Amino acid sequence: MKNRAKNEEIDDVLKRAALAPEDTDPLVLARIDESIKAALRPVRPLPPVWLMAAGLVLVCAVVSFAGGARAGLFGVAKMNLAERWLVFPALGLLVCFAAVSFVHQMIPASRLRLSPGTLLAFSSVALLAVFADLFRDYHIDHFFSAGIVCLLVGLLHAVPAGLLSWLTLRRGFAVNPASAGLVAGMLGGLAGVGVLELHCPNFQAAHILVWHTAVVPLSAALGALLGFGLRPRTWSDER
Amino acid sequence: MVRYQEGDFAAATVLVRHISPRLHRFFLAKSMSRSDADDLLQETWLRIHKVRHTYRHGEPALPWFYAIARHIRVDHYRKSLRVAAGERELEEMSKGAAVAPPQAGELEALLAPLSESQREVIAMLKVEGMSLEEVARAMSSSVGAVKQKVHRAYKKLRDTIGAAHREIDGTEDSA
Repeated sequence: MKNRAKNEEIDDVLKRAALAPEDTDPLVLARIDESIKAALRPVRPLPPVWLMAAGLVLVCAVVSFAGGARAGLFGVAKMNLAERWLVFPALGLLVCFAAVSFVHQMIPASRLRLSPGTLLAFSSVALLAVFADLFRDYHIDHFFSAGIVCLLVGLLHAVPAGLLSWLTLRRGFAVNPASAGLVAGMLGGLAGVGVLELHCPNFQAAHILVWHTAVVPLSAALGALLGFGLRPRTWSDER
Repeated sequence: MVRYQEGDFAAATVLVRHISPRLHRFFLAKSMSRSDADDLLQETWLRIHKVRHTYRHGEPALPWFYAIARHIRVDHYRKSLRVAAGERELEEMSKGAAVAPPQAGELEALLAPLSESQREVIAMLKVEGMSLEEVARAMSSSVGAVKQKVHRAYKKLRDTIGAAHREIDGTEDSA
């Protein structure tokens, strides 16, 4: 009962605030009108979400295939049919999820079904599950030396894929640049994993589970940092 | 909004007149001075104008405006934190010259104990009358997360009111 009385007290104040007339300074409104009038011209709205997401998927596919082909398609050549039919469709599906999420990050007030952090966790766990199920060679040879090379190759391809994705959606506006950077980095990271799966013939479980999968969260973290650091300066910063 | 995207100045003016008071009140709910709220309102409209092509026909417009206003407000908040850090050093050098805070209104006083994001949610939901879905969109969040924020905000407000009542009762008893 006490809580109800307090809630009513709170609601009363909020209702009074909602009903209170808001008198914005007419001079301020006139200044806003003037600034809009000075630069008013028709603009082309953003294309549909599916088209932008398809563009991002294409960017990732091109970077993955170009990187894999340049380094040599030894990994995919060594895979059996089941491995090919599980690894690449799974990667493709995760790229589609990340692409749609990135598009939504670049449109203010989009409906978010999964937060970027949840999507990153889901993608990493899904990759781990697929890799753990398929690759069962538990030998560990040259764990660090071979692993760091793969990590660097993955990240080196993740960076251009992430930047090209950002460029593809340059007309969008990220209200949360760090989240948008995280998803762009994750998208690039998935492209980097694609390059590794096409190229790397090392099928030891530990190698793939640790070093290949690590490309995604590391690239996402890099993207989030870049997004936060490169967030557009607002007028107040320029004064 | 679509006519504004097509370059219709009359439509833009109608939007400015209709949306500005709500955005102004949204900024004032953050315990901000009127001049700061005026500045942020102008800055928000500059940004709205710059990114008006990102509004999608058929989507609710109000969350789109608030998402941009919120972005501007967060940037302003970060900047004010940096300025405050610099000012703290100055204050330590000249202690005792404290300036009284501006008289807070009833709404600002009520929302004062809440965190920034809780104030935003309450202002949008209860003062502006937006739906949970609209607030979630404006905050780039889920409906569940918004509900949780409202629940926690109300709990904090109830605790604050309860403490204030106890204080008043204690004062009356001792008198």
